[in-house]
Amino acid sequence: MVFSLSGGKRYMLGKGGKRKFDEHEDGLEGKVVSPTDGPSKVSYTLQRQTIFNISLMKLYNHRPLTEPSLQKTVLINNMLRRIQEELKQEGSLRPVFVTASQPADPLSDNFREAQPAFSHLASPSLLPTDLVSTTPLESCLTPASLLEDDTFCTSPTVQHDGPTKLPPPALQPVKDSFSSALDEIEELCPAPTSAEAVAVAAESAAGDSKAHPCESSVPKPEGVAESRTAESKLMEPLPGNFEITTSTGFLTDLTLDDILFADIDTSMYDFDPCTSAAGAASKMAPVSADELLKTLAPYSSQPVTPNQPFKMDLTELDHIMEVLVGS
Amino acid sequence: MKIHRRIGALRKMKCFPCQFSNTVKSTQFNTSALMSVFEQADIISTVEFNHSGELLATGDKGGRVVIFQQEQENKTQSHSRGEYNVYSTFQSHEPEFDYLKSLEIEEKINKIRWLPQKNAAQFLLSTNDKTIKLWKISERDKRPEGYNLKEEDGRYRDPTTVTTLRVPVFRPMDLMVEASPRRIFANAHTYHINSISINSDYETYLSADDLRINLWHLEITDRSFNIVDIKPANMEELTEVITAAEFHPNSCNTFVYSSSKGTIRLCDMRASALCDRHSKLFEEPEDPSNRSFFSEIISSISDVKFSHSGRYMMTRDYLSVKIWDLNMENRPVETYQVHEYLRSKLCSLYENDCIFDKFECCWNGSDSIVMTGSYNNFFRMFDRNTKRDITLEASRENNKPRTVLKPRKVCASGKRKKDEISVDSLDFNKKILHTAWHPKENIIAVATTNNLYIFQDKMN
Repeated sequence: MVFSLSGGKRYMLGKGGKRKFDEHEDGLEGKVVSPTDGPSKVSYTLQRQTIFNISLMKLYNHRPLTEPSLQKTVLINNMLRRIQEELKQEGSLRPVFVTASQPADPLSDNFREAQPAFSHLASPSLLPTDLVSTTPLESCLTPASLLEDDTFCTSPTVQHDGPTKLPPPALQPVKDSFSSALDEIEELCPAPTSAEAVAVAAESAAGDSKAHPCESSVPKPEGVAESRTAESKLMEPLPGNFEITTSTGFLTDLTLDDILFADIDTSMYDFDPCTSAAGAASKMAPVSADELLKTLAPYSSQPVTPNQPFKMDLTELDHIMEVLVGS
Repeated sequence: MKIHRRIGALRKMKCFPCQFSNTVKSTQFNTSALMSVFEQADIISTVEFNHSGELLATGDKGGRVVIFQQEQENKTQSHSRGEYNVYSTFQSHEPEFDYLKSLEIEEKINKIRWLPQKNAAQFLLSTNDKTIKLWKISERDKRPEGYNLKEEDGRYRDPTTVTTLRVPVFRPMDLMVEASPRRIFANAHTYHINSISINSDYETYLSADDLRINLWHLEITDRSFNIVDIKPANMEELTEVITAAEFHPNSCNTFVYSSSKGTIRLCDMRASALCDRHSKLFEEPEDPSNRSFFSEIISSISDVKFSHSGRYMMTRDYLSVKIWDLNMENRPVETYQVHEYLRSKLCSLYENDCIFDKFECCWNGSDSIVMTGSYNNFFRMFDRNTKRDITLEASRENNKPRTVLKPRKVCASGKRKKDEISVDSLDFNKKILHTAWHPKENIIAVATTNNLYIFQDKMN
């Protein structure tokens, strides 16, 4: 494999045994990796992507009965911000993650503020459209073919100077309409003044940049005194203050995905004996699971699960759209 | 080895499995099987010796406090110190429900701190996430007998049947230890309390949560003063939280608090009412060769403890213990690696949340040895003078009392020697977060998940 070549001496890749994902992962940690090297940049990117996904999972899949630890939340947030900063700085080499607004969650009362924390950075975050936009995904996840050629660095550049949405490639008609439907879902800013926000959001068609409409249309919900479920991370007793995790700008469409996507094969996500022993059994969001699957496909013997989400029925989507917009 | 002469070979005195299964908590939200409900509540969350070392208090996840008392030394058995037996058990905190946020408030005891003894009774402060309580533990070994209007069993006598009067007298009874809450300090913390520390004036104490530190007077429960507030105006900008705080053992105006970014700030309360500006900032510059994604997380300080002398302070971050001279801010004077072999496993430890474990640390009475816990029920001691260190295991395998503990070794990589344990076979669920050292003698208390081990060094 490519790692045993020039980058080999810098990485402790197992003990010459079968290269499993966890060994590979362990061997890469704690090393100074300059992102400018050839294949070593790939491993650095991979690791960064993995950590990014893990961090997202930690923030959004945890449903405690008690308030989650603020220290833990802050540390995970800092990790995500740092990765985002790096991604932003790398700019042309990486796809843009558009700043996402918080979609409405029709199944729970989990209303969150719409203000992404990183709007000022104009930095991107994960989108469900990434599921369908394979071009950005590929350049981000460096599938094996690109690795062998070491041409990922020259993948098509993507705009990085603003929260512009990437036009998804028209691979399948289903995907396009699917992505457009999801765009509209994302436009829904779940503020209490949502009537206004929804109206504004519903107007914006797919393909518009996300961050601006939501930022301008949704005023800060001062005086909001809703009781929030345990899913909300930090709570201030005084109304009008923000929760830190909801304002990170990281996508909360994971709850949306829970509605749309049923079972995703997460068996690829087992890392270590020690992690499985610890019972890190939270269900992975399909977004990150899919990306991980693509990441791991070249390195594992397990087949990649078929992309179930892309076979969504159009009518089902429309129905869901109606439900969301109507609520 | 000199360290053995100092600490000796530690002998296990007693192992206390927590046997609270008869206490059913009806408000437990634990949805797993009934057995694990009991086990969950038994998890020890804090361990603390009192100032004389005669009493050892433990707090657990179920809100209970168990106090052990050292037996008086038997003159005939001068080769061993007194053993610790259960002295008192009481329910300190109950689970509560925050209706505003629809969240449970855990009854888990985060910290216990003893007050110095002033009279026959003992006092301690115990805290959960939101409320601090002052408990009085008193003994009763006499009771009045011979009432005129009451029978011995408590029934009231008919006054018309009283023909003579007598004076009640105190007669000895079986020792009864009572715990009663004397003060409840509530509603002062929005975030989770992580530390309490009693001032050397023995009249005030501080309580610290993630973003604020409050100063209390032990007598006044309806008022506290905020002395540190690091909450940003915009919560989105929050990147750092307070992780621990402690008063200086001798200077009643000085305290320190540590942060999740690996800094320690020393503040002087004489400077201003709100000590947001530190007098000293202790921070070690990052080692660029060890930089990784997890550098910030592993630099987060989980515990800070002043030495008994007050000249040094010790901090515990995820991989190391650092000793700081209060006069030098730019780097620690000593650094001890607790489990450096975990540095290559940080991603997995991040994934299974172990990287967020908060290990505590402690000094021995003479400030010459420091101790902290690790995984696989290992705990480590570092002798500051000889620079030797030792790894020991608290487990039931060596169950017989008076068994001498064998030093353990973890093999990081390469060939594993006999009796060594490889990193991959470490049990990360068996973690020792809480340890305590007797203030005067070489007796240590080590808490595994739900067992308490008390060791003493071998006296020849």
